[in-house]
Amino acid sequence: MIATVMDAQNQPDADGDVDEPGRAFADVAREQLDGLYGYCVRLTSDRTQAEDLVQDTLLRAMRAYPGLRDETKVKSWLFTIATNVWRDLGRARGRTPATVSLDDAVREDDFSLFATLAIEDPFPYSDELHLDFLRLFRDEDVQHVFAQINPVFRAPLILATIHGFSCKEAAAILDVPLGTLLSRLHRGRKQLERGLWDYALRNGLVKVGDEP
Amino acid sequence: MIDCPEAVRRMWAYLDHALARGATEEFETHLDACQRCCGELEFSRHLKELAATSGAESVPDPLRRRIEMLLGGGGTGTDPGTPHD
Ligand SMILES: [Zn+2]
Repeated sequence: MIATVMDAQNQPDADGDVDEPGRAFADVAREQLDGLYGYCVRLTSDRTQAEDLVQDTLLRAMRAYPGLRDETKVKSWLFTIATNVWRDLGRARGRTPATVSLDDAVREDDFSLFATLAIEDPFPYSDELHLDFLRLFRDEDVQHVFAQINPVFRAPLILATIHGFSCKEAAAILDVPLGTLLSRLHRGRKQLERGLWDYALRNGLVKVGDEP
Repeated sequence: MIDCPEAVRRMWAYLDHALARGATEEFETHLDACQRCCGELEFSRHLKELAATSGAESVPDPLRRRIEMLLGGGGTGTDPGTPHD
């Protein structure tokens, strides 16, 4: 596979079916850098790892760029490469892919933050109790909760919710069928909801009736 | 007619405009009759917004410099964006 890419690099217009040479890779990379960095930070939950991931992604992308046919897809193309590099880095570190037990799945699926807030009623005098709950969270609190979400479910959430990819695009980037993507996205949302509630309890952002 | 748990399951997809037309119609019919789900839809909108705006950081300067070195030819010997004859 690498060899094909290198060949393409040596003979970028050998087959002559590229009408325009397109923009230089450096311009594309500069334009996409902020988004790519944001994706890598959230994917790894670690700034140092994110920086390495950005750099490795751009190195790989630079080599493959002459083979990119549709420049309008450059963002999802870069995010796909970042996802693959991230997977490879995880493998190199000897980390096995994250898995989740079936029990956890059932527990998460039952959880509703909206319903929990209504039942536990942590702000008895508020008529905007659900919004008041969300207002408790500073940016770093949300990031902390995000980092606790299983990476398998976090990645679809980042792509769809934060970077605005359609579910179809996110499925392609993660190389999973659309049905798998949708169910992972749902699980990610449930983990986010439960994560926010658990975080609020653990850090004393809310107090509910029976808590000591 | 779909029930509340099914409506909740479709909620984020609805906000993403990722539901098929039939599923969207069923969902909206449910909303017309269910105040509870209207409330949760509104909450979901805010929750998504909170998630979407979190952690928007700019690229640290040292990384930007490393990237510029790489783009300036520090990474490979050739400029892959320009065909050579
Ligand atoms: Zn309902």
